[in-house]
Amino acid sequence: MSLFFKSPIDIEILLDGEESRKHVEIANSSDSASARTLRDKYPVYEDGESVSGIVTLRVKEGKKLEHLGIKVSLVGSVDISKSSSESKKRPVETFLSLSADLCPHGELIHSQNFPFHFKDVEKRYESYRGKNVDVSYYIKVTVLRKSTDIVKHKRFWCFLYNREALPSAVSSSQNEGKPVKLDIGIENCLHIEFEYSKSQFSLKDVIVGRIYFLLTRLKVKHMELSVITRETCGLEPNQLSDSTSIRYEIMDGSPVKGETIPIRLFLGGYDLTPSSNFNHFSIKNYLSLVIIDEDGRRYFKQSEIVLYRKRN
Amino acid sequence: MSYAETIDQAIANCKQQTVLMQRCLAQEKLMDALKHASIMLTELRSPLLSPKQYYELYISIYDSLSILSNYFVECHSKKHHLADLYELVQYAGNILPRLYLMITVGSAYLQSADAPREEIFKDMIEMCKGIQNPIRGLFLRYYLSQRTKQFFQAEDSETKKANVNFIITNFIEMNKLWVRLQHQGPLREREQRTRERKELKILIGANLMRLSQIAEADFKLYKDEILPLILEQVINCRDVVSQEYLLDVICQIFPGEFHLGTLAELLATSLKLNPTVPINKVVLTLVERLNGFIDRQENPDLDSVTRGLAFVDIGEENKNLFFMFWKFLNQLSEERPDLSLQELAPVIQGILKLTLRWYPDNVSNVNVLFNFMHEKCKEYGKALPEEYDFLFHDLLLAPELKSDTSFFLRLLTECEAYEGLLSAQNSNLQRECANEILDTLTGAEWRISSKPELEKILKLCGSLVESNSDKMSSSLILDEEDDLDSENWSFSPDQEKLAHITHLCDNKSIESHCELLLTCRNWFQKSGKNIKYHSPAIICNLWKLIRKCQLRINRKPEIREKLNGTMKQLFKHVSLIINDIYNACGGGCLDLLYKLNVQTASLADQAQLGDIAYDFFSQAFTIFEESLSDSRTQFQAIVNMAQTLQKTRSLYMDSHYETLITRCTLHGSKLLKKQDQCRAVYTCSHLWWATEISPLGEEEGVTESFFREGKRVLECLQRSLRVADSVMDNVQSCELMVEILDRCCYYYIHGDEASTHVGIKYINGLIELIKTNLDGLKLEVTSMIEDGPKLKTDCAYIGIDGCYIHRNSANSVAAVYTKPPASKTTLLNFIPVEHFNRTLKYIRDQKDVDDRFKAIVL
Repeated sequence: MSLFFKSPIDIEILLDGEESRKHVEIANSSDSASARTLRDKYPVYEDGESVSGIVTLRVKEGKKLEHLGIKVSLVGSVDISKSSSESKKRPVETFLSLSADLCPHGELIHSQNFPFHFKDVEKRYESYRGKNVDVSYYIKVTVLRKSTDIVKHKRFWCFLYNREALPSAVSSSQNEGKPVKLDIGIENCLHIEFEYSKSQFSLKDVIVGRIYFLLTRLKVKHMELSVITRETCGLEPNQLSDSTSIRYEIMDGSPVKGETIPIRLFLGGYDLTPSSNFNHFSIKNYLSLVIIDEDGRRYFKQSEIVLYRKRN
Repeated sequence: MSYAETIDQAIANCKQQTVLMQRCLAQEKLMDALKHASIMLTELRSPLLSPKQYYELYISIYDSLSILSNYFVECHSKKHHLADLYELVQYAGNILPRLYLMITVGSAYLQSADAPREEIFKDMIEMCKGIQNPIRGLFLRYYLSQRTKQFFQAEDSETKKANVNFIITNFIEMNKLWVRLQHQGPLREREQRTRERKELKILIGANLMRLSQIAEADFKLYKDEILPLILEQVINCRDVVSQEYLLDVICQIFPGEFHLGTLAELLATSLKLNPTVPINKVVLTLVERLNGFIDRQENPDLDSVTRGLAFVDIGEENKNLFFMFWKFLNQLSEERPDLSLQELAPVIQGILKLTLRWYPDNVSNVNVLFNFMHEKCKEYGKALPEEYDFLFHDLLLAPELKSDTSFFLRLLTECEAYEGLLSAQNSNLQRECANEILDTLTGAEWRISSKPELEKILKLCGSLVESNSDKMSSSLILDEEDDLDSENWSFSPDQEKLAHITHLCDNKSIESHCELLLTCRNWFQKSGKNIKYHSPAIICNLWKLIRKCQLRINRKPEIREKLNGTMKQLFKHVSLIINDIYNACGGGCLDLLYKLNVQTASLADQAQLGDIAYDFFSQAFTIFEESLSDSRTQFQAIVNMAQTLQKTRSLYMDSHYETLITRCTLHGSKLLKKQDQCRAVYTCSHLWWATEISPLGEEEGVTESFFREGKRVLECLQRSLRVADSVMDNVQSCELMVEILDRCCYYYIHGDEASTHVGIKYINGLIELIKTNLDGLKLEVTSMIEDGPKLKTDCAYIGIDGCYIHRNSANSVAAVYTKPPASKTTLLNFIPVEHFNRTLKYIRDQKDVDDRFKAIVL
């Protein structure tokens, strides 16, 4: 197809200092199995950072292109369209759209460079690629024509730092930093008390805590701590999608009454998503304590934690 | 990640991963190396392995991790900072590999000077809590302990204290895991669990070993920081295997001088143990260590002694070890009324060992202990069951008690409780103990010189004395045939040993010695019939005393009067005891009585107490006449009597001698069998022919006063010849005649014809007679003589008392028969012939020496 409808023009978007900029690797979201292992690489921008670059338009040798004007825009959008059920399919929602004209209508005869610059762009959301939802930012170059426009996207990634200031779903600012204590149990079977140093963690943080066994009649095989990332999208009924980001064994064997098991989990090495809340969906992180007994039964308790990105 | 099914597979995997890991290290691919290490460590997660197999795997993995550890140390700060690595390894998802790696990195990090030592230690030990599975946890913590042991050589006390705390914390956790192992799995595998736990005990013990290395010479550290914590854990864990093992290890690995200083704590701990812990083991180990301490002090290598003494900084009240143990014992019996004698006895034995070693001369300590045990026996109420015998046996006759015999004797004589405890035992055990006590006494050749001592010992042996009197009453009927022969002696070694006591009595003063013997006699009276075993021993000792008197008289003639009185007294005692035997045994041992009488008479004669000698002889005759009925015994008795009488010298007064010898000959001639008569009479002929006794200063030819009456001699010989002639059996008859011929020769040699009345004519006649008789005999046998030159190899003789002696060439020992052996009848015929030939040869030989013999016609 592309052979017949070959674009008469090559559009290249080059961001300023792209080579030297920090990149992230994100797992390809494509559904095909072969592509799943592939990773996409995107340059990283922060909130409030200017995005500038050069758009190069190359016209095929000996050809010329007539156009109605060339436009560059910076778009931020939430895409819930990945949802499997058709009925609940929502449109792509664009929350950010800045555009600038690069050149008025005319004719392109030879290759031409157009610099662009979006100054101090406010990026409200962090880029995200989840199961059902994508939050993406891209530069879009549109060559307007009488017939179909020629469009070129260039994605980039956005990290938001210092999210402490943002209101959080679970922790109000007063108990932030205070240890979280939970007291849970199954009557006459298990009674444990666990304690984390705090409920908000930066992505490079360490979760430190301990578990105190007040009563244990279970034959515990082992105990795990896991971090579960849950994305919620849509309205009632909520569309939930959980993915386990970390599984971390913290105890082997069955403890007796009175034992204290230490918890220490370095988050820095894992690929985690900060908690965030959008209009139509949210990303939450849960710390889940799972006790597996010798018969393979699992007992668990989840508690929400807030993860945020912090500048090093 | 998963683990292998079998140990072999696991080890193979482990080897493979080690190789891969090493390869990665060589290429400096650290992350890959860590991955392989982690895969290898996953094998340790296997729940399928038995502790032994797990240990095997652990060893293999330990070696591999050492490679990794060395790499870490080498590359620290050059390539990877270990602090970073320490964090890095924490990302391992499984806890067990994570912790192993963490400890490996941590211990490597500790080797660099800039490491935050305290934090690393603290963190490692804290994180180990994540492993709650007993076996895996034990090994992990053992790994921790092995990896960190090189960092404990601190000198300053603060670090030392910190190290000690670290090890103790680890130890406590390990012990908890160890105890928990017991309660895992199904109940029916409990035994197996215990066995497995015992296989693992070394892992826990290793911690204590490290502590002892750190404490080394620091008693204060030990007393304040180490021991209380360990003991607390020991008490709290309430586990039998653990408590037993740990206390044992504590006792073993810390120096004896430490134990001296902390004895109170150790003993107090042992009171609080699980009731099923064998407390005696603990005490025994402790005692052994303390005794070992003394041993070392006695063979001083100087260093250790001075060091040892420096430590013994203990309060006065602690100085008396025995007192401390004694207090402990009392507490023990108060707090643990459930303790059986079986458990208590070894404890006492242990304390006994201790006091013997530390206070070797203190009898009262031992007394206290035995008393305690005695009380316990009383509390026990019922009779002690037999299975306890060995306990008390061990206690009463501990080798430690017996090894120093003089102490043992002091114990026997001074220790009240010993006797009490002994008497509380059943009779079998009492007898056994008494037996061994006697053996020891005899072995030590101890002399008993005072009456209280003797009485004490006799009391201890009471069981031997009395028990047999029971037997007597129960088997009265059988006893009738209970003759005193050699077999009986061997059947009652107990009695023999009792009799031996009399030989142990010794006192310089004859009177006191005699009194000791009489004490024995009084005690032995209780044993009823058995006194026949002891009394001869007493009599024998009285004889010795009499001899002693004689010796003293010889040395100092001036005290003869006094000593004569003593001797008479002694003879009276002998007579009394002989009577005792007679009264107690009646017919049972007349032969013995007879012999004792004869022997005593002989002794009296030698002491020149003719009257007394006569008395005893007449007693002997009385017995002979009244009671000796067996013909064989009678013959022996006559011979015995003749023998003794012939040597007497003091009986000539009042013609006692004549009376006795006449009676003797008369009895001889009245014996039942003719050959006995014949022999008895020719033996009695010697009674009229006294011969020299050189010790008395007599000499043939010089001394004039020999009692000799040749006429009577001849009469005797003639009479015996008549009897010989009348014997129906030709062989016997000839043999007897040859024997008479021998006697004749004797008299012919030793006296003139004038005085002996045994002359040439008589001898010639006798030879003629024998020849004639033998000719008759030969006729009977010539027909048979041809058929066996081989018979010559077998010889037969007739003994002086009429028994048949058969010597086989094949056998060097001759066989003796009282009856003619039926199979050898042909042989018998040669006996008198050969005997006669030998006699004739003798006479022929004599002709060369003595001219008088030439008159004898052959």
